[in-house]
Amino acid sequence: MNALEIRNLSKTFAGQTALHRVDLTVGAGQVHALVGQNGSGKSTLIKVLAGYHRPDPGAVALVRGRDLALGSAIAAHDAGIRFVHQDLGLVLELDAVENLMLGLSYPRGALGRIRWREALCQARERTARVGLDIDLRRPVGELSLADRTALAIARALPDADRGSAVLVLDEPTAALPDADVRRLLATIRALRAAGHSVLVVSHHLDEVLDVADRVSVVRDGRMVTTAEAADLDHHTLGRLMVGHDLARPTGRVAPAVAGGDPVLALDEVTGGTVTGLTARVHRGETVGVAGLSGSGREAVAGLLSGRVPRTGRVTVGGRPVRAASPAAALAAGLAFVPGERARYGIFPNLTVRQNLTLGSLRRHIRYGYVDARSERREVLRWIDEFAIVTRGPDALVTTLSGGNQQKVLVARALRRAPAALVLDDPTAGIDVKARTAVHAILQDHTARGLAVLLASTDSDELARLCDRVLVLDHGRLVRTLHRGTDLSATAIEHTQVAS
Amino acid sequence: MTAPDVPKPDREPFGATIGRYSAVLLFVVFIVTFGVLKPDLFLTASTFRLTLGEGVVTAVLALAFLVPLAAGTFDLSIGANLGLSLVVINWFAANTRAPIALVCVGAVLLCCLVGLLSGVLVVRFRVNSLIATLGVSQLLSAVALKVSNNRQIFGSFSDGFAGLGIANPLGIPAVVLYLLGLALIVWFVLEHTPVGRYLFAVGGNPEAARLAGLNTDRLVYGSLVSSAGIAAIGGVIYAMRVGVYSADVGPGLLFPALAAVFFGASQFSRRPNVWGTLVAYFALAFGVKGLQLAFGPGTFWIQPLFQGTALLIAVALASRQIGRTWRSRRAEGSATTQPAPSEPGDATPGVATVRTRLGQP
Repeated sequence: MNALEIRNLSKTFAGQTALHRVDLTVGAGQVHALVGQNGSGKSTLIKVLAGYHRPDPGAVALVRGRDLALGSAIAAHDAGIRFVHQDLGLVLELDAVENLMLGLSYPRGALGRIRWREALCQARERTARVGLDIDLRRPVGELSLADRTALAIARALPDADRGSAVLVLDEPTAALPDADVRRLLATIRALRAAGHSVLVVSHHLDEVLDVADRVSVVRDGRMVTTAEAADLDHHTLGRLMVGHDLARPTGRVAPAVAGGDPVLALDEVTGGTVTGLTARVHRGETVGVAGLSGSGREAVAGLLSGRVPRTGRVTVGGRPVRAASPAAALAAGLAFVPGERARYGIFPNLTVRQNLTLGSLRRHIRYGYVDARSERREVLRWIDEFAIVTRGPDALVTTLSGGNQQKVLVARALRRAPAALVLDDPTAGIDVKARTAVHAILQDHTARGLAVLLASTDSDELARLCDRVLVLDHGRLVRTLHRGTDLSATAIEHTQVAS
Repeated sequence: MTAPDVPKPDREPFGATIGRYSAVLLFVVFIVTFGVLKPDLFLTASTFRLTLGEGVVTAVLALAFLVPLAAGTFDLSIGANLGLSLVVINWFAANTRAPIALVCVGAVLLCCLVGLLSGVLVVRFRVNSLIATLGVSQLLSAVALKVSNNRQIFGSFSDGFAGLGIANPLGIPAVVLYLLGLALIVWFVLEHTPVGRYLFAVGGNPEAARLAGLNTDRLVYGSLVSSAGIAAIGGVIYAMRVGVYSADVGPGLLFPALAAVFFGASQFSRRPNVWGTLVAYFALAFGVKGLQLAFGPGTFWIQPLFQGTALLIAVALASRQIGRTWRSRRAEGSATTQPAPSEPGDATPGVATVRTRLGQP
C-alpha cells in the first residue's frame, strides 16, 4: 500500500492555474523527491497538502489507502502527514526541550505545573530518533543550522507508539553547507529505515539523486515525470526541470590582467568568526571564499560591508575603508550583495524600482525631488538587461520570485559602478535558471574589470567562477586553491572537510 | 518575458479596491444620507466650514504622527507637544509683551528640541519608540500643568492673530488652507523626495537600509523632530482659532489623530499616506456632525464610538484583503522569501514594521 496517493489535483488562483491535474504517489517507506524550479508549483502542492490552500474540486488523496480531505490542516495531521517547512518554526531564544514541547504538549502535574524532568526525557527520546546529540538546555539559537533542522524534524515526528508517518520536508538543505547536508541526508535515511515515508522538496539535484528512491519533476504546474532515482542523472534531471538543455556556462578564461595593484586588499582582518584574514583581489579577478559553517566564511561579507565591526585594514584602490560603516564602504567603491536577502537586502514595502535604486538616487534628483520618470527608465533598462521577471518597475518587490529579487539586489549593487563587489551566497535558495543568469552577470562584469569577492556555500559555483578560492577553517585561511592547478568543486569540498 | 515563473498580472480583487477607497465611499455616503435627512441643516456652507475648521488641529496632529510612522517609529508625544506649544504661546501672550510671531516660532523650536530629546532616547539609548515618547509625553504634561497651574490660560491675543484663525477667505476657513499647505509639504517630502523614500525604507527594513548606506539614525532623529515641530504648529493654529489653553487639549486629540492615520494607512497606496489620512479623518468628522445634527445635542458620545468602529472595520477589511493577496502571492512565487512582517492579519504596513522594531533589543 502506498503511503500517500494524490490524484487529479488542480489549483487555480483567480483564474490562473498553479497546478494542473497533478498525480503523485509516495511509496511506503520510501524517500520521494519533488523537484522543480521556483514558481513551478511544487510549493503550492505542499501547501495544499498542508491544508493551507483548498484544492479545486475533483482532487482525491489517500493516505495509506484511507481518504484524506485536502485543504484541512487538522485532517492532514490526523492522517499522519507531518511538515518541516523551510522556516523551521523554532523559537531561537528557547531551549530544545521547550521548542520540542511547543508542537506537542507538556507533561503536567498538579495545578498544571509542567513536569520538567519528564519533558526532558521525552525530548531526549525524540532527538535520539533522528540521531541528534545536543545539549537540550541550550537556546536553539546557539545550534548549527543542521542541528536546528534535525530538531524541527524530531518535533514533527509522531509519538513513537503512533506508527509511521509521511514526513514532508520543504527545502531542508537550502541554507546548509555541504558537510551539514550530508548529515541531514543521513537523518533522512534513518527516518526511512525507521519505516517512515519522506517527501522531500529540493533544488539540489545531487542531493536528490543521492538520497531519494524516486523523483518527481514539476514544471509549470504539471507533473512532468516520476522516475526511479537510479535511472536519472544530474544532467537529465536538470533538463527535465527546465524543459530544455541548460546552457552550460563555460569555465572562465584566465583573467585579462592579474598583475598590478590590487583593487581590494584585506590585511589581518579580524571580527565575527574571522581571525587575521589577508587577501588581495585584482581588477577583473574573482576570488572565492569557502568553508563550512562556523569557519568564518559566512562572516567575511558582513565584515567588509560594515555590518559587523572589525579590526585590521581594508583598502579599495589603495585607500583605507573605515570599519563598521556601510556608508563608508559604499563611498569607497565597495558594493555588496548581502546573504539572507529578506533580512539584509529587500524592502518588502517598496516597489522593484524603489528597491533597485535605493541608496543612490542622486542621478534622478531634479530640484530636490525624485524624477520618477527618469528613474523608471533606468530601472527598465536593468529589468531588460538582467531579464528580471516582473509585472513592471512599479510592482511590489515581494511579488517577485526569490531569484528575481536577487537580481534586483545585484542590480542595486552594480548600478553604483563599484570597483569591487562582495557577494555572500548569492545563489542560495534560487532556481537553476536564475543561478545561471546571476553567474553570467558576474562573469560579464569581471570581464569588464570588476573585482569580485564571492563567499559561497556552493563549491560548484566557486569552482566555476573563481580564479582563486580561499578556504577558511576556524576563522583562519587554511589553503588557497588556484584555477588551472588545483581548483575544482571536489578539491574545495575536500579541503573544507580535511582541514 | 514568457518564462514559466512570470508573475500573473493579477488584477486586484474588487473587494480590495473597495477597501482601498472605503474612506471616500464613506464620505460620499455620509454627505448623501445626511443631505437627504437634514438638507436644511447639513447641506449648508456654515456646517461645512465648521466641520472642516474644527477638524484642522487634529488633522495636523495626524500629519505629525505620519512622518515618524513612515520610518517605523511611533511618536506618542505629539499630543503633549501640541499642549506644550499651546501653553507656551498662551502664557507668553498673557504675561509678556513679546511679539506673537516670535512667541510662535519659539514654541515650535522648543517642541523641535523635545523631538530631539525623543530622538536621543530612541536612537542613542535604543529605547523602544513607543515607550520613549510615552515617557516624554508625561514629562511634557508635567511642564504644561506647572506652567498653567492646572487652570485655563486666556492668551489675550491681538485681533490680527485671532483673525488669522477665524478668517474665511473665499468662504473657506483659513485654517483649512494652512492644513492643506502643510499636507502638501508632507506629501511632497514623503512621496517625491529621497528623504521620503529613505524614511519608508527604514520603516520597511532598518537593517537593509543601513546596509544600503542610509544614515538611519539621522532619519529617525529627523522624523521625530519634524513630528514634534508639526504638532507645535497644530498648537499655533489652535491658539489662533480658539485662543485658550486648557490641559486636555493636546493629549485628548492624540487618539483621534492616531485613528485617522491607521484608517488612512489602509487607503489608497496601503501604507501610511497623507491623503488617505485626511480623507479618513474628515469622512468620519462629517459622519459625526451629521449624526449630531440628525439626533440632537445629547449625542456627544457618538464621536469616539464612531471613530472606533470605523477604524476597526476599515483596518479589519484591509487586513483580510492583504492576507488574501499575500496567500496568492506566496502560491505564485514559491520560494519568494518574505520577511516576517507581512503575516496575514497585519493590517497596515506601519503596524507591521513597528512590530518588528518592538522585537529589537
